[in-house]
Amino acid sequence: MSRLEKAVIAVKSSSTGDGCGSCDVRCRILVTVCYLCMMLSVAPADLARLILFALYPVLACAIDGVSYGRLFLRSCIVLPFVVLIGIFNPFYERTTIFTIAGVDISLGWITFTSIVVRGLLSMQALMILVGRHGFTAFCRGLRSLGIPRFLSTQLEFLHRYLGVLLMEALTMRRAREARGYGGNGLTLKSWGEFAGQLFIRTVGRAERINRAMLARGFNGSMPSWRGNEQSWRLSDTLMLIICCSAFVLLRFVNP
Amino acid sequence: MSDALLSTPVALAGAGLAAVLIGVAGHKIKKNDDSSLVPLMGVMGAFVFAAQMVNFSIPGTGSSGHIVGGVLLAALLGPWAGFLTLASVLIIQCLIFSDGGLMALGWNIINMGAMTTLIAYPLIYKPIARASTKPWRLAAASVAACVAGLELGAVMVTVETWLSGITALPFLGFLGLMSAIHLAIGLGEGIATSAVLVFVAKSRPDLLVPASAAVHSGKKGVKKAVIWFAVAALVVAGGLSFLASSDPDGLEWSIGRLTGGVELETAGNAIAEGAENIRQTTALMPDYESSFSGVVGAVMVVALVWAVCSVITSRRKKVTVKDEQA
Repeated sequence: MSRLEKAVIAVKSSSTGDGCGSCDVRCRILVTVCYLCMMLSVAPADLARLILFALYPVLACAIDGVSYGRLFLRSCIVLPFVVLIGIFNPFYERTTIFTIAGVDISLGWITFTSIVVRGLLSMQALMILVGRHGFTAFCRGLRSLGIPRFLSTQLEFLHRYLGVLLMEALTMRRAREARGYGGNGLTLKSWGEFAGQLFIRTVGRAERINRAMLARGFNGSMPSWRGNEQSWRLSDTLMLIICCSAFVLLRFVNP
Repeated sequence: MSDALLSTPVALAGAGLAAVLIGVAGHKIKKNDDSSLVPLMGVMGAFVFAAQMVNFSIPGTGSSGHIVGGVLLAALLGPWAGFLTLASVLIIQCLIFSDGGLMALGWNIINMGAMTTLIAYPLIYKPIARASTKPWRLAAASVAACVAGLELGAVMVTVETWLSGITALPFLGFLGLMSAIHLAIGLGEGIATSAVLVFVAKSRPDLLVPASAAVHSGKKGVKKAVIWFAVAALVVAGGLSFLASSDPDGLEWSIGRLTGGVELETAGNAIAEGAENIRQTTALMPDYESSFSGVVGAVMVVALVWAVCSVITSRRKKVTVKDEQA
């Protein structure tokens, strides 16, 4: 499957999420931000404390009834970049911290592992946030938390037309492949023509959309959405207090 | 940039700076009062996203690449609208495609968005391209602006990583590595951007003229923005280097002032001694140093919780399936 096809599937599945969201999306956003702030402020050498922060994704998956193993595997997408940057640590930090079966473990290996763990945990927290509630609910949550309306409108527009334009690009690429007699890969020149053609189609589509929206009374921002909106409950307040207190304790109290 | 390489103060400073820039961009677009710009920006963001998903082959290397789109968006929408559109693309990439991370998002918006649309476009692209649609001018302007924008982004990543103090890479070594990689990426990005712009200049030259002069801020406005941006960056960098120092953080400092040491010590009493004896007897690895035992202990706690949660989840699923069958 090509990147384009994968992107089409990812965008289609992201709009509603998996429906396992057990709390209000605003509560989840605040909990995630608190978790990331506390987790990323742990010193790189304090690996044990950092690993304990994995309890949040594990427990969140259990509460939502989804597999942590799958989430873990999906979060490994972040590994190539963090390993590339972190792998230099063992070469620069050579102080021995402890010895296991005669093998010296240096500070560099501890901080390298710490970088990898930080990358994985932050990715898992993000996936829990968006995967459970979906992008549309996430945007509405952001709006009710006070982000400017123009940004949430822009994000909703972008997300809505992403699927359409990705399909357009996929159709164009398939048409080119069908006429290409097995030739694979776009040269820079033909890529420029491909992207330029896509751009001109895009502008045409944007003009049609604008006319249709103006005809329906569009005034620059999306109307508020009231149907089936989840309200903030006592359980959300409790969850927010419990989670944030737990993260602060994990960060500052020595076990 | 990834969450893994950022410390909390640096990440929050990036988020704050990006929020300010997004606010300014929103204000400029609102002032423009052009309702057609909103859907155009949304669809243009989707276009850049779709174009990013189609790779072009890099001659002589056997590999392929794709565009980032900052200079392209600025050339088609103007700097502020281009910045806001690219920021939305980066937010969606972060949330749906898990690129970067939530805490690194602010810096990613600055590194990839602000550096290309608000710095490289007005200071390099515009003076070279002017209002011309000649292919050589568009190509020279695109390549120069993309190389400059990506190099600036690379420098910013190095500074952010250095201020965070997570990686042990020396500043100059990391800077050299990042600059070399981004020089090649910038050249590719510039050629790809110019290929699209030349095609658009031939087919629809009217589209190269920005939607509105107000969004395409004038020379004075851009200069003002650059000065503000530079001052903000200096303040943030100065503040962060203080925060990223090896001195204890606020809470540790307070504890230090109160107790004379950074860590709280346990008062010596019979209960504490008894607990310590029990710990020594029952510890799985009493001979190893505490840091290793701590790591193993933490892994065991997480593994145990995971195992318990997996059992509960699988039981819950079985019950749900039975209920559905019934």
